[in-house]
Amino acid sequence: MSFAENIKNLNRRVIFVLIALSVVIPLIFKIGLPSKVTKEVKQVYQEIETLEQGSPVLVSFDHEASSLPEIKPMADAILRHCFSKDLKVLGLALLAEGTAIGDEIMREVAKEYEKEYGKDYVFLGFRPQYMAAILGMGEDIHRVFPQDYKGNSTVELAMTKELRNYEDIPLIISVADGDMPTYWINFANARYHKRIVIAVTAVMATSFYPFLNSGQLAGLVGGLKGAAEYEILIQKPGMGGKGMDAQSMAHLMILVLVILGNITFFMGKKKT
Amino acid sequence: MRRALPIIICFGFGFFMLIQFFVPHPSFVSSYESVLDWMQIIYVFTLLVGVANYVKINTKKISQTQSGWGYNLVALAGLFVMVVLGFWKGTRENTPFLWLFNNLQIPMQSTMFSLLAFFVASAAYRGFRARTKEATILLITAALVMLGRVPIGNMIHSAIPDSANWILNVPSMAARRGILIGIGLGTISTSLRIILGIERTYLGKE
Repeated sequence: MSFAENIKNLNRRVIFVLIALSVVIPLIFKIGLPSKVTKEVKQVYQEIETLEQGSPVLVSFDHEASSLPEIKPMADAILRHCFSKDLKVLGLALLAEGTAIGDEIMREVAKEYEKEYGKDYVFLGFRPQYMAAILGMGEDIHRVFPQDYKGNSTVELAMTKELRNYEDIPLIISVADGDMPTYWINFANARYHKRIVIAVTAVMATSFYPFLNSGQLAGLVGGLKGAAEYEILIQKPGMGGKGMDAQSMAHLMILVLVILGNITFFMGKKKT
Repeated sequence: MRRALPIIICFGFGFFMLIQFFVPHPSFVSSYESVLDWMQIIYVFTLLVGVANYVKINTKKISQTQSGWGYNLVALAGLFVMVVLGFWKGTRENTPFLWLFNNLQIPMQSTMFSLLAFFVASAAYRGFRARTKEATILLITAALVMLGRVPIGNMIHSAIPDSANWILNVPSMAARRGILIGIGLGTISTSLRIILGIERTYLGKE
């Protein structure tokens, strides 16, 4: 069997091993490929940077467990920025699986910055029917969330008692792996004129560029690449930067495989 | 009456939600907030219907020992174990519920999601061929975006990320906008059809 035939009939297990190696090796041996910060990520950074100390921000964990490896580096970087700026973070989840994850991520990052629950940050938990929840918070947050995730009354907690509706929150951040930011745009932005930034998985990022261009979104962090860029901006290296080496190699490997596949295709065509 | 009543309710609430947007009177705001509360309450009941259906389907397969009934047993056990643990010890930090969520559900779902990378690579190797002019354009576009979205693209040539951004910001965005406008118009027309009782398929068969 010729080399071309060998390549043409490449067992898919070989492809799987090549992809696995191209992901695992850069994660073990750091290459440190330099990332360039894009405009949309810088916009998110600027939105948070320009907020006054003590301003509340709403962070909504609108994702499922499957996308955690991509979501966590983005959420970590954004929360680190918020807490380092002494902003007050109000967390919630509009998808059930984001509840435990959001609570855990907020607790971890808050601990890093020695923030106090109830005073510096609060996690409200999950509410079903995201459209009603988004619209309801525009009228009265306490009505949609009478209690936080721990069961405390939101009317009594030091941080939440002052927050009535979106008028008291200058920025909303949706960390999502689906089209949930569309609902934030449709309802919180269109109806209540709230500034919204999003952190979404790379596969979803392209769906939101039109909203960014129209000004309905004030910034966008897209996938692991966005997380890596944000880590550069806040000067706190994390999983985003590490993951970019692996992602670079995996993309390169897929391209090499596509080129090889095309070479054998044209060689076969020539013969016939 | 079985069909007329839901149509009247749908028209009433649909029309109210439409006009309340333009009427800031306190009575409208208060009614609007009540409707939002009821939307959440009704949604929770639909979740219960979903759970009941899930239990019914799985129980039927197990009782009839249909092929793969063991998987249905695992699915049912998963549901009941999580519900019992959630009610018994709670769902917050240091609970068995959260331990199972972190150590079973997240790794399993992340594994399923990451398998996509392997299948995409294999499918791209076998199927991504420059057979026609259109396929060649698609191939070049995909290659540019794939390289442009990772740092290695910039290392190969600084024009690669710029090209990838141009593709995303111009042709891709134009297509997306077209789709979004289409969806928007479709949503408006379907909503009007439902509110006015023209579209009745949501009521089920006669």
